Amino acid sequence: MLFPTIEFGIFFLVVFAASWAVRGWPEIRKLVLLAASYFFYGWWDWRFLGLLFLSTLINYAAGLALARTSNVFLRKAVVGVAVTCGLAILGFFKYYGFFLTSLAGILDAAGLERDLPFMAVILPVGISFFTFQGISYVVDVYRGHVTAERVLINVMLYISFFPQLVAGPIVRAADFLPQLHRPVSLTRAHVGVGTVLILSGLAKKMVIANYLATELVDPVFFDPSAVGALDLLLGIYGYAVQIYCDFSGYSDIAIGVAALLGYRFLENFDQPYRASSLRDFWRRWHISLSTWLRDYLYLPLGGNRLGEAKTYRNLFLTMFLGGIWHGAAWTFIFWGVFHGTMLGVERYVRGKLDEFAPAQSDPGGPLAFLGNAAQHVVGVVWTFHLVCFAWIFFRADSFATAGSYLAGFARWSQASQYATPFLAGLILLAMIFQFTPRRLGRWLARGVQWLPAPLLGLLLGGGIWLIWALAPEGVAPFIYFQF
Amino acid sequence: MLDLIHDIETRLEGGDGAELSPDRQEAKETRRSVARMSRALSLTVALFIVFSSARLVTWVNGFEVGPVQNAIVALSATWNEQMERNGLSAPEALLREGMSELRRTTWEEVRERVESERAKTEDATRLLRGMISDRKG
Repeated sequence: MLFPTIEFGIFFLVVFAASWAVRGWPEIRKLVLLAASYFFYGWWDWRFLGLLFLSTLINYAAGLALARTSNVFLRKAVVGVAVTCGLAILGFFKYYGFFLTSLAGILDAAGLERDLPFMAVILPVGISFFTFQGISYVVDVYRGHVTAERVLINVMLYISFFPQLVAGPIVRAADFLPQLHRPVSLTRAHVGVGTVLILSGLAKKMVIANYLATELVDPVFFDPSAVGALDLLLGIYGYAVQIYCDFSGYSDIAIGVAALLGYRFLENFDQPYRASSLRDFWRRWHISLSTWLRDYLYLPLGGNRLGEAKTYRNLFLTMFLGGIWHGAAWTFIFWGVFHGTMLGVERYVRGKLDEFAPAQSDPGGPLAFLGNAAQHVVGVVWTFHLVCFAWIFFRADSFATAGSYLAGFARWSQASQYATPFLAGLILLAMIFQFTPRRLGRWLARGVQWLPAPLLGLLLGGGIWLIWALAPEGVAPFIYFQF
Repeated sequence: MLDLIHDIETRLEGGDGAELSPDRQEAKETRRSVARMSRALSLTVALFIVFSSARLVTWVNGFEVGPVQNAIVALSATWNEQMERNGLSAPEALLREGMSELRRTTWEEVRERVESERAKTEDATRLLRGMISDRKG
């Protein structure tokens, strides 16, 4: 069930009405939301409901075991077993085929052909997200950030809550579980924020991402050797905008839907293409994943506390695993490795520059201000192009396609097929929104929260109708569903 | 933007200087917000049924064959005919046509449009200057 469909609209109306009708009975309300979440997941493939339940059960049992023992060795063992089980399930469904194909390739190259146990394994939708949420729960209990849940329903609802179940944002146990223990409320702020986020998410996904995908990115990436350099450049700018609008659009709708049900998720995107460095980019892009990787991988590896060499190693490993998390393909691994390497290079260069010219506490005169502004602009443009370069590998189905894409940048004499005012305008429009004031959304939500019901209905209904009328026919799946 | 929710929650928990206790104030606010949102959602559904009736027909045509489904298909088709007859599906068609035109626009047309707007502005400026110099004279 995709968000921008009539099916989801009906589903949400029923869940909204039912969940608020039983507001006075919190346990029943949780059951209603849990049933709705399992129904939502089962809509894709009911056979994977058992897997979702099994994953939850392992984490719930680990939480209980952690609550019952204070022995450090045993506690570490419990976390180890739970995390290994979660990763084993994820590994089997997501990487089994990739591992065997790669192994077969290596054996073939070495002249050692073997019959390997290939199987057609279907990837359960959202498995990467609910596995990470399960790990977050167990580790948060271990660290004492959250108390172990004795009621299974709470853990089930935390892991399967439908707005974030299939494509995030990755919600932390310490952020969500406390919300299940206090009376749920719907304030005018929830209504304002929910409405603005749902409308902006739909507009980003349905209009900008879908048009760019069907009219520019898909044809250009289908055969990069058939188009010229200008189209390739526009194609990668288009993909940068498409993936942002697609994924942040999904996150906006998820956060908005959760808000209308009385729950608060954290922000997942913060105008990432205005970042002036890769480090800054990762603070703004898929924030729930980057902070997850930081807290559950980078910091346990030692972070930047064990000396320079180990900091570079930790950065590299974190981004390498971030790349694998996205998908079972060498192109995703390259994408992660590239980001890890460039983050290391950036850290090294920044360190050397700071040694050479230490940062001044005094901002200086107008010349220094102009110098800083120019440095910032160069940083933004450079970071955006580094990110775009990495997106080529992320989007391409193979290294051959990515290579062909890069080689095509030599064909500047070839006439453009896709550089139309409409597509260029869409890219420009989306990029302008990267540089609007950060509090624009808050200002809009503040305005919407005071609207009387008829005007709110006109805004919501009229907005959805307008987006649907402007969007291309059909509903394309969200990019992050495949992860 | 999400800090707005946090601000309001904090204010409600603090009682906000109102006569009611924080719990009762929060319950009252929730009741009001749920009622307001329910009315807004009802209006959203009504707008959809009236102005996007063609989409409704496409959607119900995806149903499996059966007596109830057939009745729903017939009902939605009749409804759509009524909406079309009353011109209520025209705005969506108009928007779609406008969007198609926008997609077909070439750089040449954009240049012509810019030139024509510039010429209009120049004419208007000349007219205005003429009026001012006439008055001076």
